[in-house]
Amino acid sequence: MEIARYDVNKYSPRQMVALPLVLLLLAGMLLGYTTLATGLPLTPGIDFAGGTAVTVFTSDSREAVEATFAGYPLLSVGEGIGDGKYIQFGPMDDAQYQSLVTLINEKYPDAKIDQIGETFGKTLQSQAFLALIFSFIGMAVVVMIAFRNFVPAGAVVLSAFADIVITAGIMQIIGIPLSLGTTAALLMLIGYSVDSDILLTTRLLKRKGKLEEKLSGAFRTGIIMTTTTLAAIAAMWVVATAGQIQIIAEIASVLIIGLFVDMMNTWMLNAGILKEYVLRGNKK
Amino acid sequence: MNSETIKNLVKDWRVALVLLLVVGSLVGIYLAPPSPERGLEGNLQFGLDLEGGSWLQMEFQSVVVAFSTDGSVGDLMDDLRTDLETEVIRIDENHLEIRKSVTRADLEPIFAQSGASIVTYQKGVSPFTADEVKRILNEKVNALGMQDARINLLTPTGSEFPQYVRIELAGVDMATAQDIVGQQGLFEIRVQTTGNETEHVLYGDQITSVGVPQKDYDGRWGVGFSFTETGAEAFREAAIESGAVDNPDAHNLVMILDNETVYSAPLSGELAGQLRSGPVRSLSASTGTGDAGLTDAMTLQIHLRAGALPVKVDIVGSGSVPAALGEQFKTTVALAGLLALLAVAVVVYYRYREPSIVIPMVAINLAEIIILLGIARFIIQLDLATIAGLIAVVGTGIDQLVIITDEVLHEGRVPSPNLYMKRYGRALGIIAIAAATVFIAMLPLALMDLSTLRGFAIITILGVLIGILVTRPAYGKIIMAILSK
Repeated sequence: MEIARYDVNKYSPRQMVALPLVLLLLAGMLLGYTTLATGLPLTPGIDFAGGTAVTVFTSDSREAVEATFAGYPLLSVGEGIGDGKYIQFGPMDDAQYQSLVTLINEKYPDAKIDQIGETFGKTLQSQAFLALIFSFIGMAVVVMIAFRNFVPAGAVVLSAFADIVITAGIMQIIGIPLSLGTTAALLMLIGYSVDSDILLTTRLLKRKGKLEEKLSGAFRTGIIMTTTTLAAIAAMWVVATAGQIQIIAEIASVLIIGLFVDMMNTWMLNAGILKEYVLRGNKK
Repeated sequence: MNSETIKNLVKDWRVALVLLLVVGSLVGIYLAPPSPERGLEGNLQFGLDLEGGSWLQMEFQSVVVAFSTDGSVGDLMDDLRTDLETEVIRIDENHLEIRKSVTRADLEPIFAQSGASIVTYQKGVSPFTADEVKRILNEKVNALGMQDARINLLTPTGSEFPQYVRIELAGVDMATAQDIVGQQGLFEIRVQTTGNETEHVLYGDQITSVGVPQKDYDGRWGVGFSFTETGAEAFREAAIESGAVDNPDAHNLVMILDNETVYSAPLSGELAGQLRSGPVRSLSASTGTGDAGLTDAMTLQIHLRAGALPVKVDIVGSGSVPAALGEQFKTTVALAGLLALLAVAVVVYYRYREPSIVIPMVAINLAEIIILLGIARFIIQLDLATIAGLIAVVGTGIDQLVIITDEVLHEGRVPSPNLYMKRYGRALGIIAIAAATVFIAMLPLALMDLSTLRGFAIITILGVLIGILVTRPAYGKIIMAILSK
């Protein structure tokens, strides 16, 4: 494992925090721009914008599927491995929806159909937003209580915040929409991301010994932790993508991105701030 | 490890507890009650996306308003009723339920005109009305002969009143679901007056008993029903006043279910004659010939029997999964779970290269999954999202075992139980904080009525709790026993 041999002590704190902070700024600008342009930081999926999603297993080509549904507000046809297709439609009125359902039942009787109304999507959106805010605040409070020390706790919270913002930025760039599933994954990330941060902070502040040794020890443990999680999530992603299980594939892809982002934030941003904090403390 | 160490280990309460819970979970899943016909699935409950069926989510077309007034509440309610042409119910001292989807801006002038003002405005219905809806829907679903239906009232976070109802029907296609539970089920009889105009005669609440669908001699399906006394009286009056009795051909009798005409035909000569001499108590609505006629007759019968919902409902979301596809998803997620466990095992083996560490790690992880499933069997249905949560638990679970192992192994093998306990305590400290954050982060999702991801959140939280309370302590004990040899 190449990454495990990386020397976490190679760079000064200033150099360590530079890359994550720049990425955080860029991602923040991207999300800010999208918010100004569309009213939402991320492109909403069917759950939040309203519309219809159809999962179907058919040997028909993508073009054939597109032709079949030409009369409807077709958004995209996604293809999995094998014959799985994931077809998305924008919002439509009731009559058109009924005729779509009839058409699907006729052509693909074994299809899974899910439909969300436009206004209901808005309600879901605001509920998901509330969940995200509550989660983040809750996490920050727990971290503050656990460390009772502003700088280390602030570093953990900042790095969790950077995890979410940068992950969201990457989602927007590669086109993963914001849905119930991806919101849940972002929430999960809040929980996931802090455990390596907490490990780092505890090792550096509560153990005795040389700073460099403590840091590289924490790094070894932290990397193996993130790798095991990545292994489990990657297995889930592969199977769900192949089997055309959209919701699991979405959750898994956001978690994978998030875990990579978290590695950077933990071992550069958080570690950089902590290192500087410990070094300054020693000078006094 | 020799048999002596194993014996001592099993005697330790932490290890014993894990074993006990694993056995208990397996018993719960497979033996209590026994379910050999379901094979590996045992007594686990699956959600709609794995079982097959339809779901409907409907919004009540109603608002609840808190008001204050110096004048009479009765006058205010009368004004609202006439202006909005809808039912208005007083829920308590200062809350009104207005059974129509109307905006606050539209309500304000009516309140002002009655010398009242709106204090709060929320979409939804009173808990009483919501229960009534649930009862009626249950009746309709039962009439379909459904053994497995779930009806849940949903209140958005930040509101006090149920605004949605979600129905899940296993093994029912969406068209049937929409016909039976996706609409209000309001039955109305009208009579044609002049031209194409019709006049209201009575609603379905004036119907007392309902027969089963029957075929008449023309091969037309129909449902017979009886009127209440007042209903029969109203029917007779309307038939005479409109002229239907004297000139049946120009005055059709029209029966409507949720704005759709079920039946429209002249009164038979025989019926006209009966009406002339007195009220008629029983009538039949024919719905047409063939299978379509029978289906319509069944639907009408169900709505007539259970009655109309007290409020109108709008479908805001719906979906269906064919059972075969659900079955396929089940196999896929089982495979995903196994692969995840395997992947994790390979990674930890790569790191520690020591079977005596890797085997307990994976075993503990597996035990955790079994215990989780054992608890889940009683409290939630496993749907796709919940299984994603379960697999995520495999990931976090292993993380924490790694923290314990590395902390304990720090600077070589474990020297003394004292030092071991100190390090172990420190590892648990890290895990406890991490667990608390996951718990807090997932809590909002677990509590929110509206999300279809409650299962995901609940399983994650449960996983964290079982981890910190049961399996981590046991792992600490096992790893100490193994390493101190």
